[in-house]
Amino acid sequence: MQVSKKIIVLGHFGVGKTSLIRRYVEDSFSDNYKVSIGVHITKKVVEITANDSMSLIIWDLEGTDDVNNVRQSYLLGTHGAIYVFDVTRPSTFQDIHKDLTTIREKMPNTPLLVVGNKVDMVILSELEPILKKHAIIYNFLTSAKTGDMVNDLFHQLATVLYNNAKTI
Amino acid sequence: MDEKDKLQVLKDILFTDDREYAEKISKRIDILEQTINERKKLSTKVDPIVEQQLKEFTRNIPSTLGPSITAALKEEIRNHKDEVVDILFPILGKMIKKYISQEIRILSEKVNSKLGFKGFKRKVRSWFGGVKEEELILSELSSARIEQVLLIEKESGILAASYSITKTIDEEMISGMLTAIKTFAEDAFGQKNQRLELIEYELYNIHLQSFIAYYVAVVISGDYSIKSKDKVQDMIFNFYENFTKIKKSKKFDADMVHKELITSFGDASI
Repeated sequence: MQVSKKIIVLGHFGVGKTSLIRRYVEDSFSDNYKVSIGVHITKKVVEITANDSMSLIIWDLEGTDDVNNVRQSYLLGTHGAIYVFDVTRPSTFQDIHKDLTTIREKMPNTPLLVVGNKVDMVILSELEPILKKHAIIYNFLTSAKTGDMVNDLFHQLATVLYNNAKTI
Repeated sequence: MDEKDKLQVLKDILFTDDREYAEKISKRIDILEQTINERKKLSTKVDPIVEQQLKEFTRNIPSTLGPSITAALKEEIRNHKDEVVDILFPILGKMIKKYISQEIRILSEKVNSKLGFKGFKRKVRSWFGGVKEEELILSELSSARIEQVLLIEKESGILAASYSITKTIDEEMISGMLTAIKTFAEDAFGQKNQRLELIEYELYNIHLQSFIAYYVAVVISGDYSIKSKDKVQDMIFNFYENFTKIKKSKKFDADMVHKELITSFGDASI
């Protein structure tokens, strides 16, 4: 049986939200940066078990410096969310706690994964202390460019949604 | 023989060859003069050469002059867009007009060739209604048709069920985008309790009818008149009433909703 779930991807400008989705859905990457305006919707069917698959309807929301500015209507009916920050730009994660609190207030009970993207551009041993200093708890460190951990990220969210649906 | 005569004889002996040579040259100059002055004679000599040169010139135009001409034309068009449009518009307009009238004539002939009772009825309508028969034919041919119906969860934009007579891109993605457009318009421009009801694009209209938890999007091609809109609304309300009953019943599944969509909208005349 196949069910459909709405996932939103949000975060600051230029953190690589669109690139992450493109890597996951099309398995491609482009260095050409184009600002996303409004929302772009894509779909990917993911196999959860041998018998069950899930259709992920992924909403790529335009970047914003403050999640309060995200259009409320785009958040309605969201089943799962991914918050992306850029590990090379502290400005994209220095207010992360405030952003995450806002998201959780706006979408209580919605599974949320926190992702640091562009890890191909840093040395991990140097990154860890920086993230520790800001007390950032992340779920994944990804690279849309190399594809590192991108599939795992979406697959984990799909699995969480699948398990949640089974328990309801 | 005096000294003078002797000198003359000596001169004759010494210059005979030169004189003959000079005479030959003179004759050849005469022939050349004649050739140049007489067009016919000149053309027999020059024409093949000119012809050869012209052929070569023509053959080389694309490579020698082509790029310069193209660049000059591009520049000219870029600098004088309005003038170019002014010049081309009447020509293109006439071409389009001619094409359309030709197509209408063909269409009209096709329809006339198939005139039966319906055609007779149309003729009667035309006589009594004072409307040209061609206009009646066109209005019949461009009548509205339901192409696709989507039942969409209002908040998430997730597709609940669909019915389609034409293949389009992924319906789940269409549902998501329609929801994004709808909610954006309602957020940005709408007052409370106001809903986006219609999206028009070229020959298509998307009729949106909102309910509490779902909305129905009906894609219609052709002339979507007020009368058609009224019929579509009735069909949507009937469908939604039946859908609510299915949803409340214990037998509810997506296939049942799909069947209900076909029953409500399939082959429907609007």
